[in-house]
Amino acid sequence: MAGSDLFTGSLDLLILKAVSWGPLHGYAIGRWIRQSTDEALAIQEGALYPALHRLERQGFLEEEWGLTDTNREAKFYQLSRTGRKQLQTELVRWRRYAGVMTAALSAARP
Amino acid sequence: MKKTFHLSQGSEGASEDVRREIELHLELRAREFEAQGMTPEAARQAALQAFGDRRAIESEVRTLRGTTVRARGRREWIREMSQDVRVALRGLRRTPGFTLVAVLTLALGIGANSALFSVLRSVLLRPLPYADAGQLVQVWSDHRQKGRAQPEWMTPPDFVDWRDGNRTFSGMAAYQGWAPDLTGTGEPEALGGVLVSGNYFNVLGVSPARGRLLTMADDDAGAERVVVLSDAVWRRRFGSDPGILGKSITLNAEPWTVVGVLPPEFRPPLQVSPEVYRPIRRPATSGCGRGCVVLRVIGRMKPGVTIEQAQADVAGIAARLARTFPATNDKVGAWLIPLHEQITGKTREPLLALGAAVGFVLLIACVNLANLLLVRGAGRARELGVRAALGAGRGRLVRQLLTESSVLAVVGGALGLALGVAGSGILSTLVPDGVRQIQGIHVDGAVVGFTAGLAVISGMLFGLLPSLNAARADLMGALRSGGRETGRGGGAVRNGLVVAELAFAVVLLVGAGLLLRSFLLMQRVDLGFRSRGVVLVNIGFPRLRYPDGNAALGAVNNILARLRANPAIRSAEVTDLPPLNPGGDQDVTAIPVGEARRSDVPEAVWYRAVTAGYLPVMQMRLVSGRNFTPEDRQGSMPVGIVNQEAARRFWPGKSPIGRILAQGEDSTAPRLTIVGVVASAHHDGPNQPLKTELFAPFEQNPSRGPVFVLEPARDPESAVTVFRQVLKEVDPLVPVASVDPIEKLVGDALSLPRLYALLIGIFASAALLLAVLGVYGVMAYAVAQRQREIGVRLALGAAPSAIRRLVLGQGARLALIGTGIGLLAAAGTGRLLGTLLFEVSAFDLPTFVAVPLVLGAMALLACWLPARRAMRVNPLVAIREE
Repeated sequence: MAGSDLFTGSLDLLILKAVSWGPLHGYAIGRWIRQSTDEALAIQEGALYPALHRLERQGFLEEEWGLTDTNREAKFYQLSRTGRKQLQTELVRWRRYAGVMTAALSAARP
Repeated sequence: MKKTFHLSQGSEGASEDVRREIELHLELRAREFEAQGMTPEAARQAALQAFGDRRAIESEVRTLRGTTVRARGRREWIREMSQDVRVALRGLRRTPGFTLVAVLTLALGIGANSALFSVLRSVLLRPLPYADAGQLVQVWSDHRQKGRAQPEWMTPPDFVDWRDGNRTFSGMAAYQGWAPDLTGTGEPEALGGVLVSGNYFNVLGVSPARGRLLTMADDDAGAERVVVLSDAVWRRRFGSDPGILGKSITLNAEPWTVVGVLPPEFRPPLQVSPEVYRPIRRPATSGCGRGCVVLRVIGRMKPGVTIEQAQADVAGIAARLARTFPATNDKVGAWLIPLHEQITGKTREPLLALGAAVGFVLLIACVNLANLLLVRGAGRARELGVRAALGAGRGRLVRQLLTESSVLAVVGGALGLALGVAGSGILSTLVPDGVRQIQGIHVDGAVVGFTAGLAVISGMLFGLLPSLNAARADLMGALRSGGRETGRGGGAVRNGLVVAELAFAVVLLVGAGLLLRSFLLMQRVDLGFRSRGVVLVNIGFPRLRYPDGNAALGAVNNILARLRANPAIRSAEVTDLPPLNPGGDQDVTAIPVGEARRSDVPEAVWYRAVTAGYLPVMQMRLVSGRNFTPEDRQGSMPVGIVNQEAARRFWPGKSPIGRILAQGEDSTAPRLTIVGVVASAHHDGPNQPLKTELFAPFEQNPSRGPVFVLEPARDPESAVTVFRQVLKEVDPLVPVASVDPIEKLVGDALSLPRLYALLIGIFASAALLLAVLGVYGVMAYAVAQRQREIGVRLALGAAPSAIRRLVLGQGARLALIGTGIGLLAAAGTGRLLGTLLFEVSAFDLPTFVAVPLVLGAMALLACWLPARRAMRVNPLVAIREE
């Protein structure tokens, strides 16, 4: 699925973040990830969908069918209650991880 | 986002959803590339490129999607379910009376079944607590050809021949009773013991908790004297001494070395729990030869050997011995009984009969509940009509109604389990102590599972029919008519259910009636001996100071003289075997001297040594000849008195007086001159057959364990006090083993039949009550439904009595059909009671007449109230109510 240059779990975290403001369909989620990361994460766009469905199966995302801006019927994803909690814990964990890594990598020679 | 109503069903819908989702992505992405100036074709290519392997991704997502859809289906189902449960609970709360009756009925029905099953499973279904217990058999001599109906113990030489000659057993072990006196440490005490052959524990498959158990080498005559202790005596007498192994203890004044301690959970397949086990040592030659049956034998069949094969094997050996030793072994066969059957066999029939009874009660309870639910369902036709009109499918409605009965079943089942746990303790009194000791009775997972299964099946039984019926009914019609009777079909079903209920109740009532009649007949049996006004006191002279009966005779006579001199005691006599003593089968082989040996003459005769006044005090009627007198003492001519049964068998058509009876082939045993004949008595209990019996003077055949028969001058308590005082004066160290008023022994002999009759009576009463309630419910409902019709009839001039006849007639028809079917079924099932019946045929006419009368009367009573209500219908009100 995700490219090997993606840290494990970071795609899931980005997806959860993407839908944290409201329901989005798959393409919109992908576009938000591309734009918000300056297309720096070279992922295959298709890898998004297994991740979406896995999160849905885990109960973090709920599906809802609705119309796009151009009146096309599409499947929208939104955060479930447990998904919102998951996003919080993952964010905290990610920040701690990133902080620790940053501190360690910028440390002076012992 | 504007929501749409999207319906995708099944796996095809799901995979179509996936395809559309990805197609949309590609389209929108291509449009993005187009906006950057690509041609539509190039944009499409770029979108595909960026997406990656579309086929692989689509199939991966489809798989994920499938599991998600299934999980959602489950969640949906659970949501509907909990909704149904909430609705059901609300509905049940609205009708607390109905709910209470339903739950209690179910709880009682399920509880009774659960309790009985716990006993049944513990005793009958669970294997005995030995390794590969299915291979264990009790090995008996078969003396049926010699007129002894019961299996017989084995002689030591026969045992050795069978043990060494068979090809179907991996081991055969013998044992016999032993009562050693323990001395040397603390108070002297008579222990319960058993003599076992060296391989006994091996055959049972027991491992020691400490040290070792016995081996064949311990059986050698010259082997060291070793014993194995039970866990209980090791703790009680030796303070759980961990250094007990190798220590010497004194048993019957001989030193024995303790070599092992048994595990605490070990229960030998015996009626009692012995405390010490010692090797028999020389079983082949100990004491007597092929004439004396002293050994009990247990065998373990080789794996794969059937009991028939083993039986044929040992029967062959027995036949060979019969040819070789015709004097002793003629007509002696082999009789193998699976150990499980040997131990639990007698409890099988009553437990199964009671099991059938509680099963019937539960069936009736279910039928009754089905009827209640049918009526309730009819009353809710309007509610169901509204639901159907709002789009609820038929299946959904059935499920809704089934949920209600399931909720009832679950609550009833839970309560029932609690009742079952409580009841199993009470019902375990049905099982004799000896069996209970080996097959401990407790509630385990299987009982809980059985109860749960019963609850589910009950819920189905009483829930399904009403649900289907309600859902099948014309719902729109129900809406229009305002919720009254929804068709004639429901009425027919209800009538059928009532008929079934009545039939089940008849079967139970007949069974209860038969058992009750049996019990009453047993109570009326003339026992042939005194059944009130004497107390039996058993004492045991310690072997140490009284090695045999002769040594104790002086003390016995001393006690008797002091007792007889005391004003609190009218008479005092002694026997070595009291009546109604199930453990004491004391029999000897008797041969009438000078008579032609006839093949069908039984040779076993039950033997009692009694003092001169015993027969008169026990009110045993002398038919001819004389009683014993104080002159029948040691040194005078050995005499005997036979009962009529023995007189008839040994000397048919002749007077036995003056004839000689030899005791077995043993030439040293004295030959008895018969001086009298007494009327036969039911010494083993009223429901047991008469036996051939022989009495001999106690003076000539004294015992170390005499039973004193005291006839009090005033009250039994002071007589017993006097006895204890006298015993203390004569020898303060002789323990009293038991004190039993004869009334208690007589009552105990009938306690199990009384309990069976009582329990089945309770179940049958419950069945009768439920069935009558069912009749009442159906009739009351029918009257309520037909109010308008009755009103019209009355308005048109029908007499109120005619209306009553109409209602009663309908009830009577149901009762008649139900009773008829029930009687037919009872005739078929009565035989199930088998040996529980006493002098009552399974087709006992009084029972088969009384039961329909009682049931008919109750059923008519149940119709009477609805009929009276029907008579009082006000035609104007009934018609206007429309």
